[in-house]
Amino acid sequence: MVGPVHYLVLAAILFALGAAGVVIRRNAIIVLMSIEIMLNAVNLSFLAFSRFPLVPVAPMQAGIYAGQVAVFFVIAVAAAEAAVGLAIVIAVFRSRTSVHVDEFDTLKL
Amino acid sequence: MTESVFFWIFAVLTVLLAAQVVLRRNPVHAAVSLVGAFFFLSGIYLLLAAQLIAILQVMVYAGAVMVLFVFVIMLLNLKEEEMGHERLTAWKIIGGASIVVTTGLIAYLALGNAYPTGLLRDMARTQPGFGSVKGVGQALYIASVLPFEVTSLLLTIAVVGAVVVAKGKI
Amino acid sequence: MEVGWLYLIPLLPLLGAAFNGLAGRWVPKSWVYTVALVVVLLSFLIGFAGFVQMSGEEGTQFHETVYTWFAVGSLHVDLALSLDRLSGALVLVITGVGFLIHLYSVGYIDEDPGYWRYFAYLNLFVAAMLLLVLGDNLVAMFVGWEGVGLCSYLLIGFWFDDDAKAYAGRKAFIVNRIGDFGFLIGIFILFNATGHVDFAGMRASPLPYAVAMWAAGLLFLGATGKSAQLPLYIWLPDAMAGPTPVSALIHAATMVTAGVYMIARLSFLYVQAPGILALVALIGCLTAFWGAIIGTAQNDIKKVLAYSTVSQLGYMFIGVGVGAFFAGTAHLITHAFFKACLFLGSGAVIHGLHGEQDIAKMGGLKKYMPHTAITFAIATVAITGVLPISGFFSKDEILAQALNTSAFKFLTLTPDPTGPRLGFLGPLIYVLGTVTAGITSFYMWRCYLLTFHGNYRGPEDVHPHESPAVMTLPLWVLAILSVVGVVLVLPIHDFPWSWEHFTDGLFAHARGGAPGEYLPPLVTYGIAVVVAWVGFAGAWTLYKPARNIAGDVAFERATPRLRRALVNKLYVDEIYDVVVVRTVWRGARLLWRVVDAAIIDGLLVNGSAQLVAAIGALGRRFQNGNVQRYAAVTALGVAALVYLLLVRT
Repeated sequence: MVGPVHYLVLAAILFALGAAGVVIRRNAIIVLMSIEIMLNAVNLSFLAFSRFPLVPVAPMQAGIYAGQVAVFFVIAVAAAEAAVGLAIVIAVFRSRTSVHVDEFDTLKL
Repeated sequence: MTESVFFWIFAVLTVLLAAQVVLRRNPVHAAVSLVGAFFFLSGIYLLLAAQLIAILQVMVYAGAVMVLFVFVIMLLNLKEEEMGHERLTAWKIIGGASIVVTTGLIAYLALGNAYPTGLLRDMARTQPGFGSVKGVGQALYIASVLPFEVTSLLLTIAVVGAVVVAKGKI
Repeated sequence: MEVGWLYLIPLLPLLGAAFNGLAGRWVPKSWVYTVALVVVLLSFLIGFAGFVQMSGEEGTQFHETVYTWFAVGSLHVDLALSLDRLSGALVLVITGVGFLIHLYSVGYIDEDPGYWRYFAYLNLFVAAMLLLVLGDNLVAMFVGWEGVGLCSYLLIGFWFDDDAKAYAGRKAFIVNRIGDFGFLIGIFILFNATGHVDFAGMRASPLPYAVAMWAAGLLFLGATGKSAQLPLYIWLPDAMAGPTPVSALIHAATMVTAGVYMIARLSFLYVQAPGILALVALIGCLTAFWGAIIGTAQNDIKKVLAYSTVSQLGYMFIGVGVGAFFAGTAHLITHAFFKACLFLGSGAVIHGLHGEQDIAKMGGLKKYMPHTAITFAIATVAITGVLPISGFFSKDEILAQALNTSAFKFLTLTPDPTGPRLGFLGPLIYVLGTVTAGITSFYMWRCYLLTFHGNYRGPEDVHPHESPAVMTLPLWVLAILSVVGVVLVLPIHDFPWSWEHFTDGLFAHARGGAPGEYLPPLVTYGIAVVVAWVGFAGAWTLYKPARNIAGDVAFERATPRLRRALVNKLYVDEIYDVVVVRTVWRGARLLWRVVDAAIIDGLLVNGSAQLVAAIGALGRRFQNGNVQRYAAVTALGVAALVYLLLVRT
């Protein structure tokens, strides 16, 4: 029988994969994709908690759908973040002809 | 029973494809794997009785966002030598290891006893029509109408920002 | 009586100073002169109108609270001004003599490129001095007190590219600081004891004897600094490095008399501290004598006048010290007239000789500059008292009051009430003061004779000439004031113009009762005239016109050691150098080497910088700009938190 813990462990595995990708991969596009995986892992945990709430929720429409509404906003923000992030990758690639994040060290200045 | 079967299929495939994203050297392969992972993840969302979110997942993530990624990969048109090789430095190992250890510890220590046995609340069973487009839509448009509208503003700014950044020089 | 125009008196010169200091460099010369003169003249006219209104009825006092300066807890300080008969008269002296000196300066400083700076300082000085005199509380007075000190410093070092002059300015400032320190502590003590800083409030509060003694003594320390009394007089002779009109205004007529004014203003405090009063009189008497004997051997015309000023200030302190506050302040006013005249006359001489200040190289100038010579002679008559004009009566009043005073009769030398009494102090001061009057007559006539009579002894190529009218006019006005100033000090009781009568009720009365009478007034006048003529006769025999400079040679031959010591100002500067300056210097070096260089610079300043640099070098390893490094470090931090929060609990 599949319970909430299964879903949450799946979310943890996906999150770890995404975070490892962010830390390890040099390619900026892959790093952005890994971030998307991390966001999806978080979405998954939101939905799992939405279906299996830990606390009794108030009998309101908004209350029981709070998790799903949050996921909606996360998706919207993720879309915006992907657009801006990829635009930055393009701009940096133009000036440096490289997509490797370990070569972007202007934060040091 | 059907839920268990589908969960395990979807879960295994999602993890495998996500691992492909992280491990593949070629970004095109990674992107295609990510599309697959998002598809299977939306299946899992369906299992969690989130029909609207599952649809959005396919439309926004697997559709729009991934098209954007593929477009950028095409635009950059990275050659073999430009993709570079991965270097595994000490800090990367430390970071990766601490992530794995942290998530493992949280999953093992916190999730194991998070849910009291026997008192499981399952909204999908108790609330008829849980996660339907109607229900979530009402929650969005009545309780969170202001954030919902602000989201449109955020997306507009993101579009303008993306154009400005991509056009100008950094 | 509350009025609303008193603030204009100090404000106008302040505005003039602001205009001349900020814009004077770029506006035409005539604007600078006009502004500088007009603001002082307006101040004088306002002061005069107020004085006429106020002096009609006895006890009238104009008061104005300009604004509350600060109020902290029980300390409430207003910027308050008050015009009574004493401050009113001084306002007239300051703005009147000040205006004449401003006018004279137009001729004197005209060729100097720093004229605009000069007039800015001069106006600022007038503003500060007016605040000092008008201030109705000790704090406002102290602001003026410090302000005049600052202007004095700025004007002594006016030609600051000359090291000696800049040094003289510093010396004046530092010596004054020592006195000001005492003044400030005195204010604190008075505030602590009475809870007031305004004069009326302090006057109404009873003071314990010890507090009165300490406060009066420390304030007197301030007065010895500002008014050049022993032992802090040493800055005044050096202050002659400044332009001569400045010496006339600041270092003779007004600023240096601030100490006398302060004691007279605080007479209610000083009569509660009779011991300090005796000390004031004694210091004044010794300073008068000390300045006079050094003055006999100086060859720099301005130094002679400087020591004469020190000596005359000593007389004023005798006056206030024996409880005759009216006598001290009367001498203050007459001295302002004749000493300003003398200084301006010396300035005219120096101007006419293109900077020559040595009276040995002068002589016979009567022929070339008759106006200067006559006015100088009139002022010399006033200061020496050979003829009974202003200086004669004001000085004699002081000496007579010292002789007859009852202020010291009940004072004992030791705490034992049956011990020896100090009653002899008054007559002693009288004797020494009278001797000093003779010496004064000697050195002033020596100065006059050497400068204006005999043959011209200067270099051939210098042609002495009379000064322009803009400079001789003030000389004449001051000379006339020196003569007619006598009406203030005529020894006729109930004479309506007499200063004693005028200030009746303004000053507190010294303990010990009314003065007795050792000698009838006519006898003391006789003694004074005789002493003055003896001094004149001494000067005439040594320095009569035909002998030229031979008098100094004869003096030298008669008492070589004494004269050499006097020429060298009795080695006071050298003694101070060894005892005070070098000691302070060594202490300062020690502090510099150990505290400053080693502890503060080495350990604290550089040490903290090195510590920060070390921490920074460590932190820089993490701040390499590599985003993935940051992410890895963050992950490590999260792992540590998880370990702490989940595993350990």
